Amino acid sequence: MRAVMCKQYGPPESLEVVEMSSPQPGKGEVLISVRAVSVSQANVLVAAGNHPNKRELPFITGGEAAGIVKAVGEGVSAFKPGDAVLGPGKDGGCAEEILASADKLRLLPPGLDLTLAAGAGSYATSLHALRDVAKIKPGETVLVLGAAGGVGLSAVELAKQMGARVVACASSQEKLDLCKRYGADELINYESEDLRGAIKKAGGDKGFDVVIDPVGGKYADPAVRGMGWGGRYVIIGFAGGFVPDLPLNLPLLKGCAVMGMSLHRLAMHDPAAAKALRADVIKLLADGKIKPHVCATYPLERTADAMNDLRLRKVLGKVIVTAGST
Amino acid sequence: MRAVLCKEFGSPTSPERVAIQDIPAPTQKPDEVIVSVRVAGISFPDVLLLQNKYQYTPTLPFTPGSELSGIIKSVGADVKGYKPGDAVIGKTKGSCAEEVAVPASKLWHLPAGVDFNSAAGFSGNYATSYYALKQRANLQPGETLLVLGASGGVGLAAVDLGRMMGARVIACASTAAKLDACKQAGADELINYETEDIHTRAMQITGGKGVDVVYDPVGDRFAEPSVRSMGWNGRYLIVGFAAGAIPKISFMLPFEKRCALMGVWSGGYTQRFPRESYDNITELIAMLAAGKIRPHISGVYALENIGEAFRALANREVIGKVVITTGK
Repeated sequence: MRAVMCKQYGPPESLEVVEMSSPQPGKGEVLISVRAVSVSQANVLVAAGNHPNKRELPFITGGEAAGIVKAVGEGVSAFKPGDAVLGPGKDGGCAEEILASADKLRLLPPGLDLTLAAGAGSYATSLHALRDVAKIKPGETVLVLGAAGGVGLSAVELAKQMGARVVACASSQEKLDLCKRYGADELINYESEDLRGAIKKAGGDKGFDVVIDPVGGKYADPAVRGMGWGGRYVIIGFAGGFVPDLPLNLPLLKGCAVMGMSLHRLAMHDPAAAKALRADVIKLLADGKIKPHVCATYPLERTADAMNDLRLRKVLGKVIVTAGST
Repeated sequence: MRAVLCKEFGSPTSPERVAIQDIPAPTQKPDEVIVSVRVAGISFPDVLLLQNKYQYTPTLPFTPGSELSGIIKSVGADVKGYKPGDAVIGKTKGSCAEEVAVPASKLWHLPAGVDFNSAAGFSGNYATSYYALKQRANLQPGETLLVLGASGGVGLAAVDLGRMMGARVIACASTAAKLDACKQAGADELINYETEDIHTRAMQITGGKGVDVVYDPVGDRFAEPSVRSMGWNGRYLIVGFAAGAIPKISFMLPFEKRCALMGVWSGGYTQRFPRESYDNITELIAMLAAGKIRPHISGVYALENIGEAFRALANREVIGKVVITTGK
């Protein structure tokens, strides 16, 4: 079977498609025949050696995978061959076959589109950010940075469903149009507008109650300054290139809170909560409440192209790598 | 009547900047009472006001002080529930005078058994720390609370309140004498941050878990090692920057630690939530009367010696609180 390996840190071109023997599921493990894999900016950064969660070389790249159970190891009773499942592999997801720990795997309802299922992972991040970290209330105003990306677009969609007024920021008209389709009430193009002024205006006299920030970089400062009294700023990642600093007088005068989260840490610290969160997302997907936007799919051997789309900020919503026959 | 007047901004350590003068007694508006002041409380923000370094610029000349205890002299037409002769606690600007007009919305009855010194010297600091620990951090029994600048006014109030709320309190200060005062106030663990590393000690004390809540009125170089010492779902309370510089904290820290850097501006809260803010002080006064909290008054100065009190505050010599007596 084939897998996309990172043998040395570097740009997407340095990833290698290698032939490997099919792995055998050990105790508590499940062997999955992969159909669709989520790849994200975090995968690009990890492969480049630029992510805070550094991985030891070599490793298989990619995020969560959706696929069909091929075999189960000793002690696994929740899954059987033929089941459709979604979950993180023990290594990355970009391979024709992967091993996963059964306790981290979720059963998918029959008939669910596996490409959409693989693309729904960002909803777990934004659901956690909005519902559990920011504890958003109906009628509040939310600013979403990087709003056309995987996490951003899902945050726009969920915040709207939670009764918020949503202001979406993105870097092109095409991206902003997509945000509008996903329910954004107001749009800010942060490449062509004075961001600080535009955020102040969109926040009104009160300022923003919640900011969802998966990008960081130069956008963070104007966003923090746009916060209102009692606001919650949720740091989700740094796709914007650099990690900003926070002068502590800003949250003091605004009586607001700047907080951070990652699902990676949640899974380590509170695996039960992480699992419940994933189940919530599958239910939203199965009930037709959310519709992940997949802008492109690439076959396994073109994983580097998917990653370059991410690196060059061409991705709207999600990009998915496919294997086998979806 | 006599009042303290600051006529020009300048160094708080030169007492001649503040003079005692005879000025006309205040007159009350319909919703105010006139209090004959027994004791006035001053705090670190007054030191900043004298230098024009606070969040707003006062109009010169101004009278420092922000809280008081005393006896009501007269009552405005619209005021209900108070009468001349009542002993009260008041929160208002310009309390360092023999008579002060106080709006009824900033007035509380002084319970029997509470002395005027404790009453004058606690509402400002305790209101800030209580708002921080209760409304902002939602501090729970059994959680760990690390207090920076723990022997200062708001710091020692946070130690006292943290103990009362059932937290395990780690007090950080710069000398053995200051730490001793923290221990007296109920701190469970002590860190001398002139000789010990905050992060190393905090992780040791919490068995590697990190602390649940940090209370930071000092900022500067003490902030970053304290943010690094936060535990899962930790709340870092930004109260002020008494140590000088405003710290800059990398977004990576709250991201990796999953903690919240929370601003605590008690004045802003009072403006927006006057009712909740008033109730907080009512609760604190009940705790004071019941002996559940124990404000530490380390210095009592006569009105004419107020310059000495400001010098002690500016030089960071004050443990807990200093108060000013009018001699009435």
